[in-house]
Amino acid sequence: MMVQNSDILNIENITKTFEGVRALENVDFRVKKGQIKALIGPNGAGKTTLLNVTSGLLKPDNGSIYMNGQKISGMTPDKIAFLGISRTFQLVRLFTINNATVLDNVLLGAHKQLKPDIIGTIFRRGSLNKKEREVKDKALEILSFVGLEGKEKFLPGALSFGNQRLLELARSLMTEPQMLLLDEPASGLNDAEVDGFIKLLLNIRDRGITILLVEHNMKVVMNIADDIVVLDFGKKLAEGTPSQICANQQVIEAYLGTYGSAQECV
Amino acid sequence: MNALKRYWWLFLILFVIVYPLTFGDSPYKTGILVFVGIYIMLAVGLDLLMGYGGQISVGHAAFFAIGAYTSGIMTARYGIPPMIAMTSGMFISAVLAWATGRPVLALKEYYLAMATLAFNEIIFTLIIGLEKFTGGASGLRDIPPFSVFGFSFENHILYYYFVWFVVFLVIASSIAVVKSPFGRTLIAIHSDEQAARHFGINSPKYKTSVFILAAIYASLAGSLYSHYMGFIAPDDFGVMTSINILVMLFLGGIGTIYGPVLGAAFLKILPEITYQFQDYELLINGIILIVVLVFMPKGLYGVLISLGKFIFRRAR
Amino acid sequence: MNDISHFIQFFFSGITTGSIYALIAVSLVIVYKVSQLICFAQGEFFVFGALIMTTLTQKGVPMPLAFALAIFIAVCMGAIIQQALIRPIQGSSVGALIVMTIAISIALRGLALIVWGRESHILQPFTQGEPLHILGASLQLQVLWIFGITVIVLLMIWYFFEKTSLGIAMRACAENALGARLMGINVLKAELFAWAWGAGIGALAGAVVAPLLFMQYTSGVMPMVKGFIAMSIGGLNNIAGSVMAGFLLGLVESYTIGTISSKFSDTIVFILLMVVLIFKPTGLFSKS
Repeated sequence: MMVQNSDILNIENITKTFEGVRALENVDFRVKKGQIKALIGPNGAGKTTLLNVTSGLLKPDNGSIYMNGQKISGMTPDKIAFLGISRTFQLVRLFTINNATVLDNVLLGAHKQLKPDIIGTIFRRGSLNKKEREVKDKALEILSFVGLEGKEKFLPGALSFGNQRLLELARSLMTEPQMLLLDEPASGLNDAEVDGFIKLLLNIRDRGITILLVEHNMKVVMNIADDIVVLDFGKKLAEGTPSQICANQQVIEAYLGTYGSAQECV
Repeated sequence: MNALKRYWWLFLILFVIVYPLTFGDSPYKTGILVFVGIYIMLAVGLDLLMGYGGQISVGHAAFFAIGAYTSGIMTARYGIPPMIAMTSGMFISAVLAWATGRPVLALKEYYLAMATLAFNEIIFTLIIGLEKFTGGASGLRDIPPFSVFGFSFENHILYYYFVWFVVFLVIASSIAVVKSPFGRTLIAIHSDEQAARHFGINSPKYKTSVFILAAIYASLAGSLYSHYMGFIAPDDFGVMTSINILVMLFLGGIGTIYGPVLGAAFLKILPEITYQFQDYELLINGIILIVVLVFMPKGLYGVLISLGKFIFRRAR
Repeated sequence: MNDISHFIQFFFSGITTGSIYALIAVSLVIVYKVSQLICFAQGEFFVFGALIMTTLTQKGVPMPLAFALAIFIAVCMGAIIQQALIRPIQGSSVGALIVMTIAISIALRGLALIVWGRESHILQPFTQGEPLHILGASLQLQVLWIFGITVIVLLMIWYFFEKTSLGIAMRACAENALGARLMGINVLKAELFAWAWGAGIGALAGAVVAPLLFMQYTSGVMPMVKGFIAMSIGGLNNIAGSVMAGFLLGLVESYTIGTISSKFSDTIVFILLMVVLIFKPTGLFSKS
C-alpha cells in the first residue's frame, strides 16, 4: 500500500446549510495522495453534499477545501476540473442528446486536453484530425480498461445500469485526473459486478490516482479503502482504518449495525 | 445502393446546380430556391444553437435584420461596396451576440425564449423608429445588386449560384462544427450542463460562441437577402419570421443540420402549392404543422431516415 | 387640455390596456402554473372572443348572452385543444411544445381568416352613452365595463384558487405534480380545466375590449405578446404579480406614448422586459 506524505485534498471545517437544515457541519478531514478513502454513513448524512461542495457545484457557507495546497472551494466546477479532480454521480448523468454514443461520452473527457474552439474547428482541420485520432485511440483503450470493450457505438441508454456506471468511470478517467470523487459507484451492481469493480478500483489506484468514494456497499469499502470517514447528520462521526471503524461502537450503532453491514467487517 | 446511401447529398448538389439551367430558369423560379437557400442559412444556424447547444431562441430574425439593414443602408445610402457592408453586418451581429449572449444565455428555457423574443422586438421597433436611417415602416429601397471587385451579380442565375455557394459553405462548416470536439461539447452542455462543467467545460463561453456563430450566419443571410430583393421592410424581420425559422427547425428535424435544410425547403415551397387555396392557406399550413409535430416528432428528416432504412433492408 | 387632464387621460388609457394585459397575463399564468406550458395561442382566443361576440350580436343575439356564448365557445375550444393536441406531446422538449402552441395559433388564425375574412370588425359598446368627462379627460363608458369586469374576474380567480377545494388542488398540481397525484388529485383534469378556463379568460378579455378596437384575424398577436411581458415581469407562477405587472405595463406604455414618444414606446417596454429577465427572472414581484 503506497502512502505518500503529501495530502492531495484538505477538507477544512466545511459547513453548508440549506433552508435551515444543516447538511454539513464542521466536516474536517484529509485525503492523502495515492490512497483510497471511503466516505460512509446513513442516507442523508451529507455525503453527496460534501462531494458537491468539493466538485464546485455548491459553495460552502464556512470552511475551505484545498487541493494540493490550492484553495478550490468557491471555484466553478470547470476550473476545479482543470486542476485534476473528476467525479461521478449518484444517479448516472451521461450525455444522451442527439444520439451521443458511448464513445462520444468518453471522448468528452478529453475536453480539457483538446480545448476546442470555433475558429480552430472551422479553419484548422488538419491538426484537429490528428488530435482526434489520438484521443479516439486513448478512449478505446480506457473503454477496454474498464471492461466496456466493443461497446463504443452503443447508446448509453442501451447499456445495463452497471455498464452505465462503468461508462461514467471511463469518462472520468479520460480526463487524466489526479483524483476521483465517486458517488456510490457500486450501487445497483450485482455480486459478480461488484467483484470486478473492486479489482478495477484497485487498478485505478495503482495507476496513481487518488480516490474519495462515497459508498454504502461495505464489501467494496472494506476491501479497498485505506481509510474511512463516517458522516452522520452532517457531522464527522469517526475517522480511521477499516478495523478501527469496525470496532467503533458509535459507528456500529449509527450505521453499521442497523444496515447489517457489520458482517463485512474483518 | 450503398453509394446512394453515402453520397445522396451529391445528388442534391447536382440538383441545385442543374435547376436554373432547366426547369427553374425564370427569375421567379430561381427566386424560390434563392429564398430556400437564405432560409437554410437561418435555420441551420438556429439548429446549431438550439438543436446542439440546447438554447432556445425565438428572436433569430434580429440578426437577419441586422445583416439585411447594415448591407442595405451602407450600399444604398452611402455607396459602400457590398462585401464591406456584408462583413460589417456580420461584425455588428457578432458583437451584439457576444454582448447579449452572456447574460441572456444564462437564463433557462421559457425565460430565455422571452429574452430572445424581446431582443427581436427591440431590433424590430428600432428599425421602424429610426426612420431616417432605415426608411422606417415603408422600408428601404434601391439596394444595389451584390457585387465583388466590380463584378455585379445582376443576372439572377449568377446570383443564384453565388447564394448557393455561400449556403454550401454554411452547411459544410456547420457539419464540421457538429462532428468536432466543439460539437461534442455542445451536446454535453445540452444534455446536462452541470455535469458537463465537471469536464472542464466553461459552458457560458461555449453557449456564447455558438450564439455568435448562428448570429453571423443569420447576418450573412440577411445581407444576401437585401441585395436580392433590392427593397426590404421591417415586416420581414419580426418575431413572426423568427417563429417561422423555429417551425422549419422542428418540421425538418431539430439537431440534425440536414433536418432544418429540409424544413426550410419545405416551408418555402409549400406556399407555392397552397397559395391556390388563398384564404385557406394559413389554416392548412397550421394543420400540416400540427400533424407533423404530433405524428413525426423527429421531423421530416427522421421520416426520411426511417424510410431509407426500411428500403435498404428490403433491398438486401 | 391642460397637464392634469393629460395625466388623467393617460391614466385611463393605461388602466384600460392594463386590464387587458392583466387578464391575458392571468390566463397565461393559470395555464403555466398547472401544466408548465406557455400557450402561444392565447392571443387567438382573445380574437375569437371578440369576433364571436360581434357576430352573434350582429345576428340579433342579446349582448349578455352573446358575451356568455363567446366565452363558452372559447372554453370548449381550449378544452379540445388541450386534450387532442397538448396531452399527446406532453413529454416533449420545451422547444417542441412552444412550436406546437405556435402551430395551434397559426391554425386558429387561419380559421379566423376563413370565418371573418380580412376586414376589421367592431362591436357596439355594451351600453350606449356619451363618454364621461372627468377633469378635462374623457372616459368612454366601455372602460368602466372593462375595468369592472376585470376586477370581478380577478376576484373570482382569487377566490377560486384560495378558497375552493378544486382551486387549491390545482395550486398543488403546480407545486408538485407527483405529490398532488399521490393525494388523489386528478392532475389530468386540472390541466384540462386550466387550459379551458385560460382560453375563456382570454376570450373574455377580447369580448370586453371589442367595442374599443377594430378587430381582425391578426389582432391577437400584440395583446398576447404584451400579456407575456406582463407575465414575465410579474413572475411566471405569480397570479397577483402578473396582474400588477399587467396594469403597470399598461400605465408605462400609456405614459410613454403620451409623454416621450409613441415610436419608441414598444422599444422601451421590451428593454424593460429584458432587464427584468436578466436581473430578476422570477419577476419583479416575487419573493426571491
